Amino acid sequence: MNELKTNWKKILYHNNTVGYIFSFPFLFGFFAFTLIPVLVSVYYSMTNYKLGQSPVFIGLENYRNLFSDDRFLNSVKVTLIYVITSVPSKLIFALFIAYLLTQKHSGVTFYRSLYYVPSLIGGSIAVALVWKTIFSRKGLANTILASFGVPKLSWLGEPHLAMGILVLMSVWQFGSSMIIFAAGLKEISPTYYEAAEIDGANKWQRFTAITLPCLSPIILYNLIMQTITAFMAFTQAFVITQGGPNDSTNFYALYVYNHAFKWSNMGYASAMSWVMLALISIITFLLFKTSKFWVFTEADQ
Amino acid sequence: MKIKKLTALFLSGLMTLSIAGCSGSKPAASAETVSKDTGKQITLRMAWWGSQTRHDATNKVIELYESQNPNVHIEAEFYDFDSYFTKLDTLVAADDVWDIFQLGGNFPKYIKNIEPLDGYIKDGVINTSDTTENFLATTKDNNGSQIGISIGTNTYGIAYDPELFQKAGLAEPDNDWTWDDWKKDCITIKEKLGIYGSSKIDHFIAGVTMRASQAKKDANFFKKTNDGIESEDPAPFADYLKMIKELTDDGAYPDAGAIKEIKDIEGDYLVTGDAAMTWVSSNQVSSIVHASGRNIKIAPVPRLTKNGPYGMGVQSSQQLCISSNSKAKEEAAKFINFFVNDIEANKILNGERGVPIMSKVREAVVSQADDSGKIIYDFVDKIGNFPKEDSNVISPDPKAEIEDQYKLLIEKVQYGDVTPEDAAKQLLDFSKSKFQH
Repeated sequence: MNELKTNWKKILYHNNTVGYIFSFPFLFGFFAFTLIPVLVSVYYSMTNYKLGQSPVFIGLENYRNLFSDDRFLNSVKVTLIYVITSVPSKLIFALFIAYLLTQKHSGVTFYRSLYYVPSLIGGSIAVALVWKTIFSRKGLANTILASFGVPKLSWLGEPHLAMGILVLMSVWQFGSSMIIFAAGLKEISPTYYEAAEIDGANKWQRFTAITLPCLSPIILYNLIMQTITAFMAFTQAFVITQGGPNDSTNFYALYVYNHAFKWSNMGYASAMSWVMLALISIITFLLFKTSKFWVFTEADQ
Repeated sequence: MKIKKLTALFLSGLMTLSIAGCSGSKPAASAETVSKDTGKQITLRMAWWGSQTRHDATNKVIELYESQNPNVHIEAEFYDFDSYFTKLDTLVAADDVWDIFQLGGNFPKYIKNIEPLDGYIKDGVINTSDTTENFLATTKDNNGSQIGISIGTNTYGIAYDPELFQKAGLAEPDNDWTWDDWKKDCITIKEKLGIYGSSKIDHFIAGVTMRASQAKKDANFFKKTNDGIESEDPAPFADYLKMIKELTDDGAYPDAGAIKEIKDIEGDYLVTGDAAMTWVSSNQVSSIVHASGRNIKIAPVPRLTKNGPYGMGVQSSQQLCISSNSKAKEEAAKFINFFVNDIEANKILNGERGVPIMSKVREAVVSQADDSGKIIYDFVDKIGNFPKEDSNVISPDPKAEIEDQYKLLIEKVQYGDVTPEDAAKQLLDFSKSKFQH
């Protein structure tokens, strides 16, 4: 009896036990709401599961159908266009602002937090609605155009303009990349710059020969994170354009959502999600592969 | 140093705010029965879709019911149409549908989640003595079991502003005007007044389901057995697409971007004065009149040919159903009975969901109707007196997907990617493929 008690106490007061107790909420959430659903979706992707009906196993048919689905291929295309245009523009803009904000001026920290604000509220429905209003027929954008005597544009009615608006919104939310860039810029030792200045390098030369190489690991990190985020873009398209006009902003995630929740084709949507995972993995892998040509690390030196 | 500290404070404040903003969603409560000192406390969940007018009125009726039945608490959820069905679909998957919920002609998709009401009618929990068999039949399934009680009947029409018609020098639409007349009116209004001829039309009804019934008497787009497509000829659908493309190019009909700006019926271009006509279901007329504050009239939907078939009758606009997973079905049935039979409640609801099917309730609502209300009752009577046709008012399961595909096809036609003829063929092919298993 006594032995049992001491054993029990041993277990209870063991360091690991405390760890397990504290990590239980996370582990429970992870298994119940992440891992198990993810695994179940593998099975569903091979069935014709529709919400409210029982799934029937159909093998790889969903995957085969995907590649003859014009809307699917179009959604891959527009998502790629979105990623390729929005990610570099956002990173360049973020780097530019970060560069300005690491200069020694009074009030720089204030500006830094100010520029971070759009990112804080970025993914929300409210901002998307504001954006939609700005570019509506009688919105701010058209009012400004009109005051310059330019005819009004149908921002959300022209396929290219609609895509442009979404890209612009993404670029506007540059805050998190900017903060990371700013931290990276501060890490670069001022001795490099001093040496370059003595050698007579101008600002542009200093930027390309010192700043960019020293910052390249951080650029890689931002590039990968932003690419993944851009692939999963949903809210903007869902709220502002609903995928239109003419499917020009029918992003991958939005198309998955429509199949899953609007048309109840859960099996098909699951298959689509897995293709998305594969797609993102391949692109991330390629980015890593190219990194050895342009990312500068002190370990290699 | 001080500035830095202030900034830090500012930043952390912002973060707290943003975190608070993210965690604003409250967990869904479930139907539960709780014992309290006052007796058996019952919580019912109820949901519907609609406009602001409807949300306000329905919430008032719920308050009224709660004040008369203190042991019942009703949790209300209300959405716009699309979000409602997205939410419903997820609840169906989770087998956790609201106790009382609103459905329309797409009920066959949810038939497994609906509790038949026949037993409650037989036991007198739901009193249907004040309505007719015909009205009850609008919400029965093919096996004749009562899947809901209609909370309003309606029909579609074109709402228009007579003053704008007069300004454009046009005669007001008559009872057998055609789509050609409608198109000419749109073009004239654009020319004379510089606004859209018409605001958003429900293309799937006007251009597909109703059009199939207009092209040939007693024909339907979906088979009456709801297991396939009856229409074979793409020509009537192609003509409709061509007409919409021409009007869009002309600026007489809003382009895809402008259409997306219309959030609900109160924000319709007819209300804002940017269009002279719009598509409505008859029950929406009073919302339009009140939101616009102008004189608005309603005309029948145009026909394909003068004196040709009209293609649509008066139908149940929506019904209240009880979910099969509800734990308080009897209480839910009691509330439905109150909702359809209580005079006070219906005076608040004011026929906004459509003309009530209970005769005493209808009398009470008609007697308090203002001018816009009277327009609705006259209009529904008028359409009800059109020669009877055999149209299918129930939509099969894949309808939502076919409708969305059709919306895409319209945009493809509008942007010149596809010819109207090809789009019409693609519509038929796509629709047929959705019925093959």
